[in-house]
Amino acid sequence: MSNYKVSIRYSSSLLENAINKKLLEVVTTDVELILQVFNSSKQLVSVMNSPVIKSQLKISIINEIFKNKINDETLNFLKFVVKKGRENFLVDILNKYLDLKDEHLGIINVEVRTAFAFDEDQSKTIKEKLGQKLNKQIRVNYSIDDTIIGGFIAKIGDTVYNASIKHQLELLKKKFLEGGINLN
Amino acid sequence: MAEVRPDEVSAILRKQLSGFESEADIYDVGTVLQVGDGIARVYGLSQVMMSELVEFPNDVFGMVLNLDEDSVGCVLFGESRLIKEGDTVKRTKRVASMPVGKEMLGRVITPLGVPIDGKGSITTDKFLPIERKALGVIQRAPVKEPLQTGIVAIDSMIPIGRGQRELIIGDRQTGKTAVAIDAIINQKHTHTEEAKALGINPVFCIYVAVGQKGSTVAQVVAKLEENGAMDYTTVISATATDPAPLQFIAPYSGATLGEYYRDNGKHALVVYDDLSKQAVAYRELSLLLRRPPGREAYPGDVFYLHSRLLERASKLSDDLGGGSLTALPIIETQQGDVSAYIPTNVISITDGQIYLESSLFNAGVRPAINVGISVSRVGGNAQIKAMKKVAGSLKLDLAQYRALEAFAKFGSDLDTHTQKTLAKGARLVELLKQGQYVPVQVEKQVVAIYLGTNGYLDNIDIADVKRYEKEVLEFIEMKYNQVFDAIKKEKQLSDASIELIKKAADEFAVVFK
Repeated sequence: MSNYKVSIRYSSSLLENAINKKLLEVVTTDVELILQVFNSSKQLVSVMNSPVIKSQLKISIINEIFKNKINDETLNFLKFVVKKGRENFLVDILNKYLDLKDEHLGIINVEVRTAFAFDEDQSKTIKEKLGQKLNKQIRVNYSIDDTIIGGFIAKIGDTVYNASIKHQLELLKKKFLEGGINLN
Repeated sequence: MAEVRPDEVSAILRKQLSGFESEADIYDVGTVLQVGDGIARVYGLSQVMMSELVEFPNDVFGMVLNLDEDSVGCVLFGESRLIKEGDTVKRTKRVASMPVGKEMLGRVITPLGVPIDGKGSITTDKFLPIERKALGVIQRAPVKEPLQTGIVAIDSMIPIGRGQRELIIGDRQTGKTAVAIDAIINQKHTHTEEAKALGINPVFCIYVAVGQKGSTVAQVVAKLEENGAMDYTTVISATATDPAPLQFIAPYSGATLGEYYRDNGKHALVVYDDLSKQAVAYRELSLLLRRPPGREAYPGDVFYLHSRLLERASKLSDDLGGGSLTALPIIETQQGDVSAYIPTNVISITDGQIYLESSLFNAGVRPAINVGISVSRVGGNAQIKAMKKVAGSLKLDLAQYRALEAFAKFGSDLDTHTQKTLAKGARLVELLKQGQYVPVQVEKQVVAIYLGTNGYLDNIDIADVKRYEKEVLEFIEMKYNQVFDAIKKEKQLSDASIELIKKAADEFAVVFK
C-alpha cells in the first residue's frame, strides 16, 4: 500500500475518534505538540524509523516522552500506530490529520506570497476578499518572496491567483513573442 | 533628415501597450514529484482531466495519461531534462488538440500542428481534439465510391473504397511505403477539372510518419513535391528522434485532420506509416507509466490503441454531407510472421489487407503484392462496373496459374492446356508489374486487363509484355480515344467499346514488333 493510503486511513480514524469523543481541540493541540517534538528531534525520528528497535521499546520511549503531556486518547493512538508497525508513517499521518481536521471544520489554508510584508489593513482586506470569494473560513499563511517584484500570489489548494508584477511581465513577454502586440 | 523625438517613441510604445490588460491570472497548478524517461509524476492538479495538456517550465508540454489517487502521470512532448523535481506544472484546461484547416495542405507538421518545414507559421481558425470518438452506426453509410490507387493489381483485385481501412502489411524493404505514396500521388487526378466534370470528388491526403528516419521523411516529402502531390497533402512527422509520446499521438492527429475534411463533406486519405512503430512507442510509455505488460510486453489496451484509431475511418451518410476518411495503415512484419501480436490485431480490425512479400520483391514482381492472400472485404462494391467485369476473369486466371505454377518446371512435358494456362498466367503477372510513381488511370487499367485476359498477350514474348502494354495503350489513345472516354463517363465496358478494343488490338498486332 502506498504511504498516502496508509496515512489517510490512520488519520481519518484518529479524527473520527476525536470528533465522537468531543476531544477535537485537545487532540489537535496534542498533534501539533507531537509534530513539534518530531521536528525538533532528528534522533527521535530515526529511532521511530529504525526497523532494528523493537516496537516494545518504541512504545516505552513514546510513553516516557508524552505521558502526562498529552491526552490519553492521543497517546493510545500513538501506541497503536507503533504496535501496528506503521510508526515510519507517523509524521505523515499527523500532518494528514491536520489537513482532514481543517477540511472537517471548513477551514481553507491559503498561502499568500508577497514581495513586501503586508500591513494589518492589507492582510485584513485580502482575508476578507478571499473569504468572500470562496465563501469559506480561511487561514492565511504569509511568506515573503521578493522575486515576484510586486503584487501577491495566493495559492488555495491547487488553484493559484496570480496578481504579481513578475507574472504580468511574463505575460507581456509572451504576447510580444506571439506578436499579439505589434509596434507597427 | 527627419527627426524622431524620444518622447514620441515612448508615446507610441505606451499606446501600443495600452491593449495589454493587467489582471490577476487564475490557474491550477501541481508540483513535479519525479521526472525521467519522458514521464513526469505530478502532485496536485486535482481538477485535471484525462489527456489534458499541461504546461511545464521551459515551454515543455505534457499530456495526462494516468490519474492516480495521490499523483498524476504525464507524458512529456519535450525534453525531460529541462524539467526538475519540484517544478510547477500548470493546467491548460484543454485536452490535447491540434489546429486543422485547409492551411495545413502542403505543409509538414508535428503531431501537435506546429510546422517544421520552415515555411512560416500556420494560422487556422479551428482546433480539434486529437483523441475523438469514432462515429456511430447511424452517421455512417456503406462504402460505395472507389478510391483509385493507380496500382493495377490493387485497383483490379483488391479494390479500395472511400471510407475503407485497408492494411498494407509486409516485411521491411518490400515496398509498403511505395504503395501508399503511389496511392497519394494518384489522387492528383481527382483534383483536376476533368475529374470534376466526371463527378469524382477530390481526395485530400495525409501522410503520418511514425518513428521513421528524418531522412526518409524528407525523401517522401521531396517525392511528393516532385510529383505535384504536396498541393493536396499534409505530412505529419514524428521521427525516431521525437519523444515516444509524440510518436504515440501522431496517428491520432492524422485522423483528426482527416476528420476535418470528412466532416466538411470532403474526402480524405490518411496513411499511417507505420503502426508497428506506434505500438512500440506506446509500449514504451505504458511500461514507464508502470502499466502491467502483457503479450510481447505490450500493454493490455494495445488492441484498443489501434481499433479506436482505425474506427475513425468512415464514410458519412448523405445527411451529414457524404464525406469520407479512408485509412491505409501500414504494419511491418518480422520475417513474414503475420501471426505476431500487432499484425493479427490490425488484420482483424481492418477491412482487408494487402500482403507484400520479399520473395516476390526479389523475384522482380513489383509491387510485390501477393494477390492470392490479399483481400478487400468491402471494396468490391466500390469498383466501377467496367473494372468488375474484367477483374473477375483476371482473378480466376491468376488462381489457376498459381495452382499449376509448381509444374512449370516440367516445361514441354505438360499437355497443351496446362501450358497455355501457365503462359497466360506468366503474362498476366508481367502485366501487373508496375514502376514506382507511375500510377495508371482506371480506364487504361481496364483495357490492359481486358487484353491480358482475352488472350491478346499470349503470343507476345514475356519480356515484351510491358512494352506491348505501353504501346497498345498509346495506340488506342491516339486512334480510338473514345474507348477511354466511354469507360470514364459510363463507368462500364459496353459491347461497342469491346468491339473497338478488339479492333484496335488486331490493328496493333500487325504493327507491333
